[in-house]
Amino acid sequence: MDADSDVALDILITNVVCVFRTRCHLNLRKIALEGANVIYKRDVGKVLMKLRKPRITATIWSSGKVICTGATSEEEAKFGARRLARSLQKLGFQVIFTDFKVVNVLAVCNMPFEIRLPEFTTNNRPHASYEPELHPAVCYRIKSLRATLQIFSTGSITVTGPNVKAVASAVEQIYPFVFESRK
Amino acid sequence: MPGGRVCGACGCAEIEVDAARGDAVCTGCGSVLEDNIIVSEVQFVENSGGGSSAVGQFVSLDGAGKTPTLGGGFHANLGKESRAKTLQNGKRQIHHLGNQLQLNQHCLDTAFNFFKMAVSKHLTRGRKRTHVIAACLYLVCRTEGTPHMLLDLSDLLQVNVYVLGKTFLVLARELCINAPAIDPCLYIPRFAHMLEFGDKNHEVSMTALRLLQRMKRDWMHTGRRPSGLCGAALLVAARMHDFRRTVKEVIRVVKVCESTLRKRLTEFQDTPTSQLTIDEFMKIDLEEECDPPSFTAGQKKLKIQQLEKALSKKLEDFEGEISSYQDEIESELENSRPKAKGVFANFTKDDSIEDNASSILGEEEVEDEELEAAANHLNKDFYDELNEKDRVKRNEDGECRNGNETLVRPPALESLLGPLPTAASLGITESIKECISTKDQEPGENTGDGELDLSGIDDSEIDRYILNEAEAKIKTELWMKENADYLKEQKEKEARIAKEKELGIYKEHKPKKSAKKREPIQASTAGEAIEKMLEQKKISSKINYNVLRDLNSKGSNTPKKEDDSTDDSTNTKKLSRRKSIASRNIANPVNSVGKRLRPLISTQFAKKAATEEVTFPNAQAEASDVEKPAAVLVESGPVAYNPDEEVEEEEVEEDEDHCMSALQLMGGN
Repeated sequence: MDADSDVALDILITNVVCVFRTRCHLNLRKIALEGANVIYKRDVGKVLMKLRKPRITATIWSSGKVICTGATSEEEAKFGARRLARSLQKLGFQVIFTDFKVVNVLAVCNMPFEIRLPEFTTNNRPHASYEPELHPAVCYRIKSLRATLQIFSTGSITVTGPNVKAVASAVEQIYPFVFESRK
Repeated sequence: MPGGRVCGACGCAEIEVDAARGDAVCTGCGSVLEDNIIVSEVQFVENSGGGSSAVGQFVSLDGAGKTPTLGGGFHANLGKESRAKTLQNGKRQIHHLGNQLQLNQHCLDTAFNFFKMAVSKHLTRGRKRTHVIAACLYLVCRTEGTPHMLLDLSDLLQVNVYVLGKTFLVLARELCINAPAIDPCLYIPRFAHMLEFGDKNHEVSMTALRLLQRMKRDWMHTGRRPSGLCGAALLVAARMHDFRRTVKEVIRVVKVCESTLRKRLTEFQDTPTSQLTIDEFMKIDLEEECDPPSFTAGQKKLKIQQLEKALSKKLEDFEGEISSYQDEIESELENSRPKAKGVFANFTKDDSIEDNASSILGEEEVEDEELEAAANHLNKDFYDELNEKDRVKRNEDGECRNGNETLVRPPALESLLGPLPTAASLGITESIKECISTKDQEPGENTGDGELDLSGIDDSEIDRYILNEAEAKIKTELWMKENADYLKEQKEKEARIAKEKELGIYKEHKPKKSAKKREPIQASTAGEAIEKMLEQKKISSKINYNVLRDLNSKGSNTPKKEDDSTDDSTNTKKLSRRKSIASRNIANPVNSVGKRLRPLISTQFAKKAATEEVTFPNAQAEASDVEKPAAVLVESGPVAYNPDEEVEEEEVEEDEDHCMSALQLMGGN
């Protein structure tokens, strides 16, 4: 139950979602016609553009707001966002790269032991909620970090939070509780 | 019995209390001061039939009846009506649903309490009321431990379980109610009853319970739907007691999928307990506990992955061997070719390289070539190379220099693969960079403003994301074809609009906006702004305009008693007069309001349908308009606040009864 044992746990970041603005109106039709790897969803009014180098899918609105998903680290997310802005520039829009913000980070972590979920829920009443009829995992929310953890009985934990640090500290926080209710 | 009370509106102390109706009415002005008076005495009255009945009315606990309060607490009073309605509706729905679920009265009352809490915390906002009610009911089921599943509720309402579940979770969190975890054992009696085991019902249930407990210890129950486990346990228990219950019957009762049930059965089969005979099972409890099935499945997966890795490594070794054989064969083939062909081969090779370079500077799709080259290089596909060799041979046979251009692609690959790979690739990238270098400079100027840090961004790669002209054309064509219908519609719409414009019938059908756009009100003071707003906006029956007006204008003598007038429902002339006074007082300080107020007042009195009432204030307003020149917020002057003046004005009103009809007045707008 020491903090040192966390170091042995590897937390894999699987998804980083970020947003940025281009501060200029984008003509979706033009992007759709001249971009090489775009999907134009006219009914909802957005363009999906997929980059290969950092594996990123970006949703572009005509207002200039762009959401980037699929990156595996914060750095990569920023890199991909910049590339995207660059390619929009090349298409001819007066792009200004502003308001970059990482919105959501999703990470997966594996505990070396199984967890007794009903016991865990009773011990952590207000924060943990377990509805086996709806979802096989316990949903544990940490308000201070604004992070949500999904704890499965096999010991794997899925964490979502506003940035990588929050995710890491959430795992650290939950470790002692989970250790108590281990099999 | 007056009891020393004074009427608020007219100030007279003569108040008549009628016990039968439960009213307290002022005899001077006729305003109802109290409704539904609660008394502690019981009076009896004789009926026409000769019997006697108690005097009074029933007033319901939840305030369903009208319970006005005197004077203050205006907002609470009005809000309560709506709130009472909400609660009443909620209660009705709870009872309706609860009866379908066969919940007892205590549960229903608890559910109603939850609902009241939810309403007070504004959790019903933005959610369908049926969802909230279902969540309240389910919460009660959980806390009481009744064998009702969320699935049952969703069946009744025909709503997705997860939607209900979400509402339920929000409710539980907001109300800070910890619902105890579901125990599958709770469901057994219910399902057993439904499966109709007759006399042996109890025994089968006990067996099923034992099975469930065993499953729990074997870690089969965490993260699983309790109904699925119950189904499996009951099925086995039934078989143990010689009842033939098919999987389908069990499924219909338990509401899980067939595959789920089978899976549970197989999982149970994997546990050592399944090996025991029936008698042994009833007596003995095995000590060891199993791992949860998903865990074992995970372990299996890991093992398989490891095996695959090992296999693939071996495969790679084999492939290495095969490729070495391939190379040997190739070299032998080359050696075995006659020399003349060898000369030609060199020839073609040189040409191909030149053509390659020239074509690239043109409009070839370089990226595809490079990708193909890379792919071929990695795969070392024997057959491809064979084919290329065949083509080369054919070319040599045909002595085609012309054919070289068509062959640019495949031999180009060879050349890439062959002696000059690096040079060719370098040549390609260099040429591209030359082409684009000019482009780069122009956008480069913009980046300064845009704070776009270009470090690490490979422009050439980005340019691949942008199609060139030919490609853009093709894409445009495709897009046009796909969206042809939409474009047609647009054109037709435009044509239609153009026609209508010509004919002059053109109506712009704008999408309905909930808020109408108004001109911005230009006023020097806040009070003026309020008044002008009042002109434009429809007057609501729930706002006390006197108070609004007085917010800024510090009129000390404003009788708050006039507030009563707006919420009384009795339709007396005196009432209308008071209302007219109120509205007139609104009219007075505002200059041009008179005309505008007509439609407002007429909407207010729409239900009452008395044009006379409309005329009163209008006539008076007009009179007051005439009296006052362009004064805006002037409180002095003939503004009537004093009750004495009101009496006089009432008399005046009666004379001007019939002056104008509402239409005429409204026409003045």
